[in-house]
Amino acid sequence: MERDLTLLIPEIIILLTVVFALVAEMLRLPRIALTVCIFGLLLATVQTLPMLGADTSVFGGTFRIDTLSVWAKLILLPATVLSLLLARAELAGTDREGTVYVLVCLVSLASVLLAGVGDTMVLVLGILLSGLGSFALVAYPRNDFATEAAMKFFVFASVTTSVMIFGLSYWFGGSGSTLLSELSRLESSPSVAVIGLMAVIIGLGYKASLVPFHFWAPDAYEGAPVSIAAYLSVVPKIGAILAFAQVVRDIPMITNWPLIIAVVAVLTMTYGYLAALVQRNVVRLLAYSSVAQAGYFLLGVVAVGASPLALQSLIVFSAAYAAMNLGAFAMVMLIGRTIETFKGVGREKPLLAVAMVIFLLSLVGIPPLAGFVGKFLLFGAAIEAGFLWLTVVAILNSVLSLAVYLRIMVPMYQQSSRNGELSTTESTPFITTVWIIALLFTIGIGVSAQLLLGNIN
Amino acid sequence: MYPLISITIFLPLLGALLVLFMRKSPAPAVHAIGIITSGLTLLGAIMMWSRGVSETGFAQLEQIDWMPSIGAAYRVGVDGISLPLVLLSALLFFVTFIYSAKVRKQPHAFVALMLLLETASIGVFTALDGILFYVFFEVSLVSMYFMIAQWGHEDRQRAALMFFIYTFLGSLPLLLAILGLYLGSDPHTFDMRVWISDPPLEGVAAMLALIAMLITFAVKTPVFPFHTWLPAAHVQAPAAGSVILAGVMLKFGTYGIVRFALQMTPDAFRDAGLVILTFGVVAALYGAFAALAQSDLKRLIAYTSINHMGYIIVGVAIAALATDPAIRAVALDGSVLQMVSHGLVTGALFMLVGMIQDRAHTREMDQFGGLLKVVPILGWSFVLAAFASLGLPGLAHFPAEFQIFLATLQVEPAAIIVILGIVITAGLYLRAIAQVFLGEVGEKWTPKTMPDLNYRELLALSPLLILTIVVGIAPAWVLDIIHKTTAAIQF
Repeated sequence: MERDLTLLIPEIIILLTVVFALVAEMLRLPRIALTVCIFGLLLATVQTLPMLGADTSVFGGTFRIDTLSVWAKLILLPATVLSLLLARAELAGTDREGTVYVLVCLVSLASVLLAGVGDTMVLVLGILLSGLGSFALVAYPRNDFATEAAMKFFVFASVTTSVMIFGLSYWFGGSGSTLLSELSRLESSPSVAVIGLMAVIIGLGYKASLVPFHFWAPDAYEGAPVSIAAYLSVVPKIGAILAFAQVVRDIPMITNWPLIIAVVAVLTMTYGYLAALVQRNVVRLLAYSSVAQAGYFLLGVVAVGASPLALQSLIVFSAAYAAMNLGAFAMVMLIGRTIETFKGVGREKPLLAVAMVIFLLSLVGIPPLAGFVGKFLLFGAAIEAGFLWLTVVAILNSVLSLAVYLRIMVPMYQQSSRNGELSTTESTPFITTVWIIALLFTIGIGVSAQLLLGNIN
Repeated sequence: MYPLISITIFLPLLGALLVLFMRKSPAPAVHAIGIITSGLTLLGAIMMWSRGVSETGFAQLEQIDWMPSIGAAYRVGVDGISLPLVLLSALLFFVTFIYSAKVRKQPHAFVALMLLLETASIGVFTALDGILFYVFFEVSLVSMYFMIAQWGHEDRQRAALMFFIYTFLGSLPLLLAILGLYLGSDPHTFDMRVWISDPPLEGVAAMLALIAMLITFAVKTPVFPFHTWLPAAHVQAPAAGSVILAGVMLKFGTYGIVRFALQMTPDAFRDAGLVILTFGVVAALYGAFAALAQSDLKRLIAYTSINHMGYIIVGVAIAALATDPAIRAVALDGSVLQMVSHGLVTGALFMLVGMIQDRAHTREMDQFGGLLKVVPILGWSFVLAAFASLGLPGLAHFPAEFQIFLATLQVEPAAIIVILGIVITAGLYLRAIAQVFLGEVGEKWTPKTMPDLNYRELLALSPLLILTIVVGIAPAWVLDIIHKTTAAIQF
């Protein structure tokens, strides 16, 4: 028991952070709530560092402390801090601002929980916890758009989660246990294993916004504050993808799960970019782009167990994705939500334009940026697992993605149609900090990926 | 021994950063930094040349661990195939900086991008690691995109986009091939030296990798029918961009065909040799015929590039088909020398067209006439470069094309039909010279509207023209270096 609690220190710290921040919010001290959250998350990150290299589990195997879950904390918690800074810049002074910080921390806790999932019940818990927080975050502006988006999100989540719980009951019935590690007992009953797998794909597919369970994402991102969209597109998504990797590891090969997931990956990448191609609103464009990026993540999930590159690629791409996506959203906060507003930015704000170009090129996967290293490893993992065709599809989609991101890049270097100065959001120091950090990581991960790779065993 | 190659690669990058940090300084100072940095880079390339190459494999190796977990490292080095191209790139960038010292539109960004492009170009030729090569390859693409999109002519956005999408699409198969070579090698490594000395793939896998690589490099070279981006990009690119695009970046394609396709999947290359040869012949003839149909001077030169690159493909294919090592070496010598010659000659031609356009604001050949009387230095320079381009003996292309044709006759005599290309280019250049530089002087063109070359332009142009003659008359100093490697190539 004591050992288990020691290993759970980071999670416990986050939980305490949430409690203290909530108290601060009740006292109407949002800045204190923010400080507590940032401090708590950073402390939890630091407390995770000694666990690097661990490969164990706690509470009877229900929660895993392994490469994936440790790295998930090291990536998602700092990404949450950056999101909090963005949220502060956007929402400072609004009513009940502190609740946003509290909910963000709570959703991060759920995401971290998902990344270390070892039991179907923890899976359900993680998805519910993360969902509840997310609905409230999306609805925060309390206007028609936000309310409608949150409502859609809620209904969608309720249905998919119920289906998942229903499907998981088959696994429980077949293996006699809720533990994922006991799933190998389903070797002899493939139909039960497949039903459960489908259920997990639906449940986690909604969380990670995989096609065809992505419908909520563009509406939710558009209705929510931009900083919340940035957060939702990064932290809960990565948490869900890593949970996917944790679950499939134990599913018997007889279900041919890699093929099923490969098909989902193809759908997700292709549909995501095709839909992004016709968006006029940059937030929606980035929403569809993040749907497509989830498809790339699945290349790593497909290769779990078959290629030693799989875990490395998932972790490196998670870090890369977090940096570049947060950076791109920070730019949207600074510049504007429609493609029109991006016109002429290259001339008026050359530094912002260069940074945005770097984020977008990294999302395309152009070397030597972070996105390239991540995708390169993902491709390598998929090929090694025998999915050359999937890699070819992913590479073709990279071309499609270029067309998507060029729709933002090209206007930046055209003549501006806007009269007068570029209107930038107030309280930019926070956003500036975020995009500079994101930029450093986007370039840094590309050049010094070994720092990550060397520590992933 | 200090790391000369790395210094040469990253010196321009350092210059680019310096330029970005002095955003307030006036344009001349920025251009001065560009010229000085590229001059020092040229010096570095010359010192690399003096260190020479080795007869076995690569010389002047420099290596630092980068991602040891996956066998990727920062590895650079040169051999007889890459060293001449490094020197050529450094020289072309240097003269281009001198030539474009007049650019007043966003000079900081221009110089920084050009310097970034220089780092990428020299990096492509010296990289000995699959990932590193790909990194430089793509960085060059991005910088050239912005070069065309920002400083190009009227329809630049579309041309830049076409260039970017085309070559990005083209470069992705290479990524697959690199991954294939990586997963095929045992232990897994991205070391190109290992891939060359012990080709990791065989059979169907090798053929697939070869096809992937050929697609990438055929787009870059470009080979018919993957060439459609080239005329558009060239016509819209600024003169400096055209010089670099034709002089340096087209060589990425041909260099890649030798370095990757030929050396890493030699057996598959030999099996596909006749097909590749056919593509080369068709490209060379198509380029010549298409050039014949142009009325725009810049477009015309762009199409002759396709013709000249076709000869290189022919040479490499002949080298693969040849059974006699001596003939193989002759074919490869010719191909590599052709890359150098084309860089010098076409670089000069694009620069000259740029100079004409600066003065006349048009490139339509029928707008001109008798320019030789108005601008004798510019005119004679163009005549010299044009004669070099059509393969006149005593000028740079002759020794290269001669060796390629010689080897072709011995290995696959039917392919000698490609020599028709020479006749056609001769015809089209003579027609262009007659139309633009001979005959009656148009009324528009007086010494006032059309001044002769100034000091700066002369300075930029003369190194290329002098080297065109030197390489034509005495190619031995380049060929010796090339031959050291080509004579030792085993496959």
